[in-house]
Amino acid sequence: MLRRLLYAAVAAGVLLGCDAGQGGVRSGASDTAAVGPPAHRVVSLSPSLTELIFTVGGGSRLVGRTRWDTDPPEARAVPSVGDGLEPNLELILARTPDLVVFYDTPANAAAIARLRAAGIATLSLRMDRLEDVPVAARLLGDALGVRPTADSVAEAFETVLQRRRRAVNGPGPGVLILTWDSPPIVIGGGSFLTELVALAGGHNVFADLTQPSAPVSLEAIAERNPDVVLLAGGQAPGFVDRPEWQAVPAVRARRFARVEGSAFSWPSPRSLAAVDRLAAAIAEAGR
Amino acid sequence: MRRWLLLGVGAACALALGVLLGPTALDPATIARALAGGGDPATVTIVRDLRLPRALLAFLVGGSLGVTGAALQALVRNPLADPYLLGLSGGAGLGAVLAVALRVAAPWAVPLAALAGALAAVVLVYRVALIAGGVLDARILLLGGVVVGAFAASLMGAVMAVSPAPEVRNALLWLLGSFGRASWHAVALFAAYAVVPLLVLYRLARPLDLLTLGEESAQFLGADVERVKRTLYVAASLLTAVAVSLSGIIGFVGLVVPHAARLAWGRLHRALLPAAFLLGGILMVVADALARTAFAPLELPVGVVTALIGVPVFVLLVRRWAR
Repeated sequence: MLRRLLYAAVAAGVLLGCDAGQGGVRSGASDTAAVGPPAHRVVSLSPSLTELIFTVGGGSRLVGRTRWDTDPPEARAVPSVGDGLEPNLELILARTPDLVVFYDTPANAAAIARLRAAGIATLSLRMDRLEDVPVAARLLGDALGVRPTADSVAEAFETVLQRRRRAVNGPGPGVLILTWDSPPIVIGGGSFLTELVALAGGHNVFADLTQPSAPVSLEAIAERNPDVVLLAGGQAPGFVDRPEWQAVPAVRARRFARVEGSAFSWPSPRSLAAVDRLAAAIAEAGR
Repeated sequence: MRRWLLLGVGAACALALGVLLGPTALDPATIARALAGGGDPATVTIVRDLRLPRALLAFLVGGSLGVTGAALQALVRNPLADPYLLGLSGGAGLGAVLAVALRVAAPWAVPLAALAGALAAVVLVYRVALIAGGVLDARILLLGGVVVGAFAASLMGAVMAVSPAPEVRNALLWLLGSFGRASWHAVALFAAYAVVPLLVLYRLARPLDLLTLGEESAQFLGADVERVKRTLYVAASLLTAVAVSLSGIIGFVGLVVPHAARLAWGRLHRALLPAAFLLGGILMVVADALARTAFAPLELPVGVVTALIGVPVFVLLVRRWAR
């Protein structure tokens, strides 16, 4: 029983990695629902999508969110329906939505099928990479009938992204993006954080991993010898004093950069705005 | 004698393999130089501070799980018994999840909390087993272990469901079994700690032989059955609890290694226990080496590999001895 729970947790941990903003597996925002007339009562089941709905001017249509959705602050006024993965259908239905927006993952397939059977439109979007943001913004704009604002948000995002990409020169310092210490779980090339670090003038030493996040061996970290360790987890896991971690020179020298806030939890227009803050944190840690 | 020699050579080869294999490709000459402290400092660190303590810890933990599995199988006279049977895994899991949910940030918080949880489960199971008229009834011990483990696992599920910290699920990853936390500190700690329970279990070899005949026969043949059972239970639990707190829950070694050892060395615990120790150590070191290298730089949970190696080996052994 416990063994089964543990293995389920591995799967859940990977999924959670997506939900908590460490990216997902597939890239590219994807639409699955036939979107009819603009929705007026929307339940959003992902913190990243909730924030984007507010950004494109659809916040007043939100009647439900997950317990993790706290950005922007106005989102807290929207009633919570609990978790976003394998959500509580009863709480969702009680909000009488005409559209439910999901983070696109197989874990939600059953919930989507049941809502559709109940005649409620659903939209599944994946926002793992920066380029997913404008795509998702436009799809949400269509679904909520706020396409003009969504278009301007998307265009502004694309312009800034291009400008930022052009401004990058050289691979810069090697950065280890660590989300958990035991086992070491690092951010891989599938996450927008790898892109953000690149825009901030560094490079993720595990960019070659296609996963958004993955458990790796400590030896692999020591071998890749990052210049800076970027702590992207929700807490400081107190691992820095553990003897085995002293094999990593950046840990031994305490070259840590710490960034907090939802700009680093999921891709959004605010993530791009936070690149300078990230660059400063990496430069400060590398000194 | 030849079998012991073979086992000794196997243990040495496994340890060598544990140091030779890793996600970083290093040739044996470089590794030998690094072991002596020469060459690139980064390589020296990898070989001396990561690989060597990791291989040793894996060997000690694997060996201990093999011995506790053999002893517990004799205690409860059930071939399905393994070191985690007695509620330890649930207790350790609950402790680890609580430490993460409460955001305790000390470097040893999670292992210590897991140890505390495991020990609490041990005490609880012991109390439950004693309820039956003050004697340690093997059947009630088994049942107590299962229900206490299930109870702890449910509490753990509840904490995970309501905790505001999304990291709580990572605490479960921590339990899945890994030697990633190995260091010389951990090796020294475990070696110093494990010596006493291992010796205690070895000294119980003769009464264990008698116990496998049934408690009444053992009593009749002169064993102080109650005392033996209690000592065995306490020693095995304390040993497993520390193993869990250092390396998580690694299934299969404690279940299959005793059976394999019994097939080759017979039922006498004086030979069975040391054989289970060496075999457990060998299996664990090899499994860990594969876990680190098969999908490098990714690392597999070592418990996955112990089962992948252990099952076919066990089936082969059974076939050979059945003929």
